[in-house]
Amino acid sequence: MITRHHRNRLTATLAAATASLLVLAGCAGGAGSTGAAPDANAEIIVGSQNEPTNLDQIFGGSSGVTEVFTGNVYEGLFRITDDAEVEPLLAAETEVSEDGLTYTFTLQDATFHSGAPLTAEAVKYSLERFIGEESIAARKSQLSVIDTVTAVDDKTVEVTLSSKSISFTYNLGYVWIVNPEAGDLTAAADGTGPYSLGDYRKGDSITLEVNDDYWGDAPANGGVVYQYYADPTALNNALVTGAVDLVTSQSNPDSLAEFESGDYEIIEGTSTTKELLAFNDRVAPFDDVNVRKAVYSAIDREQLLDAIWDGRGQLIGSMVPPSEPWYLDLADNNPYDPELSADLLADAGYADGFSFTIDTPDSGVHSTVAEFLQTELAKVGVTVDINIITDDEWYEKVYTDHDFEATLQGHVNDRDINFYGNPDFYWGYDDAEVQGWLAEAEQADSTEQQTELITQVNQKISDDAASVWLYLNPQLRIVRDGITGVPENGLNSLFYVYDIQEA
Amino acid sequence: MLLLAFALAVVILFVVLRLLGNPVYALISVGATDEEIAAAAARLGVDRPILEQFGDYVLQLTRLDLGRSFTNNLPVGDEILRRLNVTLPLTVLAFLLSVVIAVPVGFIAAWRSRTWYGTAFSAVSQLGGAVPVFWVGILLVTALALNARIFPAGGFPRSDWEDPGAALFSLTLPVLTIAIVSGSDLARYVRSATLDVLGQQYMRAARATGQSFAGAFVRHGIRNGIVPVISILAIQLSTTFVGAVIVERVFALPGLGDMLLVAIQEQDFPSVQGVLLVSTTLVLLLGFVADVVQRIIDPRLRASVSGNRRARAIA
Repeated sequence: MITRHHRNRLTATLAAATASLLVLAGCAGGAGSTGAAPDANAEIIVGSQNEPTNLDQIFGGSSGVTEVFTGNVYEGLFRITDDAEVEPLLAAETEVSEDGLTYTFTLQDATFHSGAPLTAEAVKYSLERFIGEESIAARKSQLSVIDTVTAVDDKTVEVTLSSKSISFTYNLGYVWIVNPEAGDLTAAADGTGPYSLGDYRKGDSITLEVNDDYWGDAPANGGVVYQYYADPTALNNALVTGAVDLVTSQSNPDSLAEFESGDYEIIEGTSTTKELLAFNDRVAPFDDVNVRKAVYSAIDREQLLDAIWDGRGQLIGSMVPPSEPWYLDLADNNPYDPELSADLLADAGYADGFSFTIDTPDSGVHSTVAEFLQTELAKVGVTVDINIITDDEWYEKVYTDHDFEATLQGHVNDRDINFYGNPDFYWGYDDAEVQGWLAEAEQADSTEQQTELITQVNQKISDDAASVWLYLNPQLRIVRDGITGVPENGLNSLFYVYDIQEA
Repeated sequence: MLLLAFALAVVILFVVLRLLGNPVYALISVGATDEEIAAAAARLGVDRPILEQFGDYVLQLTRLDLGRSFTNNLPVGDEILRRLNVTLPLTVLAFLLSVVIAVPVGFIAAWRSRTWYGTAFSAVSQLGGAVPVFWVGILLVTALALNARIFPAGGFPRSDWEDPGAALFSLTLPVLTIAIVSGSDLARYVRSATLDVLGQQYMRAARATGQSFAGAFVRHGIRNGIVPVISILAIQLSTTFVGAVIVERVFALPGLGDMLLVAIQEQDFPSVQGVLLVSTTLVLLLGFVADVVQRIIDPRLRASVSGNRRARAIA
C-alpha cells in the first residue's frame, strides 16, 4: 500500500523527465508532437463550492479545510489513502507495546515550509493542540484516548493511551502536524506537505505553491489553485469556459448532461456521505422498533435515488458504505414493501397511522427528499409535516437540544457507525449490546476482531432500523479533457492534489 | 443627523444579530460535544453578558476598529478594504455608464417624444427598468461568455488590480448588467425632468427674448431640471452599490456583497456588522454630498435653510 502512491509519483517523475527529453528532441527535430506529454509546471485550477470557513482544522474549518490542506499542505503521522487504507507518512517507523497502550514513533526527516525542522516537540504540540480545550475538531473525542505525549529525543515521540484503541493510527491520519512557532493558523499555514500556502483570498480562492524542499517526491503539477463559487451555475460556467480544470464535487445532477461529451470526464467514486432520515429514538412512536421499520419499508428508496441522483449513487441499509471493512450488503434488510409497512404499523398499534414532523435543513437536497417521504408515507396513512430550518438551527434544535421527532441530514464522516454507540447522540439510539461491541471493538487486538465486532453492530442497527439510511451519495468529479491523476473517492472530503497533471 | 443615524445603525445591528442566533452553531460539525460547544462560545466571547459585548464593541468602534472575524480571525476592516477593490470600481463604473446611457436616451425621449424613436427610447427604458438584474446577468453570460467566448463568465483576477486590463475585462459584463438596469431607471427620471422643464414658462420666456432652444435649455433648463435628478442620482448610486450583492453572486466576484452573504451564512457577526456599517456610512455620505451639490446649484434651497434666521434678523 505504501508504494502504490509513491510508484505513481515515480512514474510521474519519469514521465516528466521523458517529456522534457522529448521536448528537447522535438526542438531539434522541429516536430510538435509533445501534445500528450504531462507538464509538471502546469498550474491546476480546482473549482469547488466547499470553501473552508477558516484554515485551521481545530477551529471548525469544516470539510472544506480537509479538501485543501490535509495531505497537501499538512501531513499527519499517517496517511489515509483514497482506498481508505492507512499508511505511514511522517511516522517513518512505529512501535507498539505489547499491551497496545504505548506507541513510539520515529519521525521522518522533514522540514516545515518556514524552514524549521520537524521535531518530536512539534508532534507533541500538534497532538495536544488537537485534543486541547479550544479544539472543536471533528475527531477530537476519538483521539481523547491519548493520555500523554512525550518527546523522547528530537526524532522520537512516545504516546501513551488511557485505553487500547485499534483505530488510533487511522484517526491520526486526520491530525495535522503543525509548526508550534507558526501561531494562529486560522488564516495562515505552516506544514510539511508538498505544497505551501501561497495566497488566501476569502470568498474567492486559496493558492497552493509547490514546496521545493519537500522531503518526499515532488508533485506532478506546478501548483494548485482552489477557486470557490457560491453559485453552482457560476461553477458550471467556469468549467465550460475553461476557467477551472476540474470540479471536486458536483452537487447538482441536473447539469451533468452538459458534461457528458468527449471534452470532459465524469468520475464517479464512492463517497462517505449518507442521506439519513434520523428518528429521535427516545420519543414515541419512534422508540418502537416496529414503527421505525414500518417507516423504512414505506419508502421506495430506489425511486428516490433515481429522482435525486439520476441512477448514480447507491442504496444502503445501514450507516456503513462499501469502502469500510465492516460493510454488509443490507440494502434489502428493510425492503420497500408497503404491505409489510402497514402490518408493522398495525402490530405497533398505529393501524390508523400517525403524524410526525421532519425538521428539514434548507441546504442541499433535503427539502426535495422530505417532500418525497411525505408522499410515500401518506400511502400507509402516516402524515408528515415538513419544518424547514437552517443548518445552524439544526445544530441548535436537533443536534444540541434533541428537540425533534425526525430529521434529515447528510452524514459525511467515514467510520461514523460509532455514533450509534453513544446514547447521548442526537438520535438517541440506546442499545447496550451495540455499545458493548463498539467499546470492545476499539480495544480489539487485531483488525479482524475489530471488523467482526463492528460487523455485528452493523447488522444490529439495521435490524433495529435505528435510522432510515436512504442512500449513499455518489462522489462526482468533472474533469476537463487532458487532466489526469484526480483522486476518485471522496473519503470524508480528502482530496490529494499532488498526482493531478495536465497533459 | 449623520451621527444619530450611525449610532442607531450600530445599536440595531448589534441587537438584531444577537437575537438571530448563536454563531457557535455555524462552526461546529457533527460529533462535537457540549464541552466543545461551550469552549467555542468562550473563544468567540459570545458567552458573556450582551451589554458587556456591546460595550466592548462600541469601544472598538471609537478606535475605528471593526474587530476580527469570528471564523478566520482576520481583521474585518482589512477584509472590507480588499472587497471594496472589487465593489467600488464595479459600482462607480456601472453608475457612470448608466449616466452616459440615461442622459441622452432620457433627453431624446422627452425632447422628441412624438417621433418614433422618442417613443422607442422611452419604451426601451421602461422595459430595461422592469427586468430583474440577475436575469440580465444570465443573458449576458450566456451570449457573450458561454456562446461567443468574448468575456469570462465570472471571477476576478487573483492578482487584483496588478493587471488593470484583466481586472477591467472581468468587470465588463457585471458593469454592463448593472448599467442596463439602472440606466433604464435613470433614463425615465431624466425624461420626466426634461419634459417638466420644456413645458415651463421660463423656457418660453427665454425663447421669446430671442435665445436659441439650445442656449435656453443649457442656461435655464439644465440648471432647473438637474436638481431633482441629483437626488435621484444619489439614490441610484446607493441602489447600485447595494444591488451589487446580486451581481457579485451571479458573476462570482469576491466583493462586499459576497462578503455579506457569506458572513450571514456563517453567522460571522463582526463581518456582518462591519459590511453593513461601512455601506450605511457610504450611503449616508452620498446623500449628504447630494444635498450640498443641490444647494450649490440652486440658491433657492440655500435660502430655505437659512431663511428663518434671515427673517428673524429683519424683524
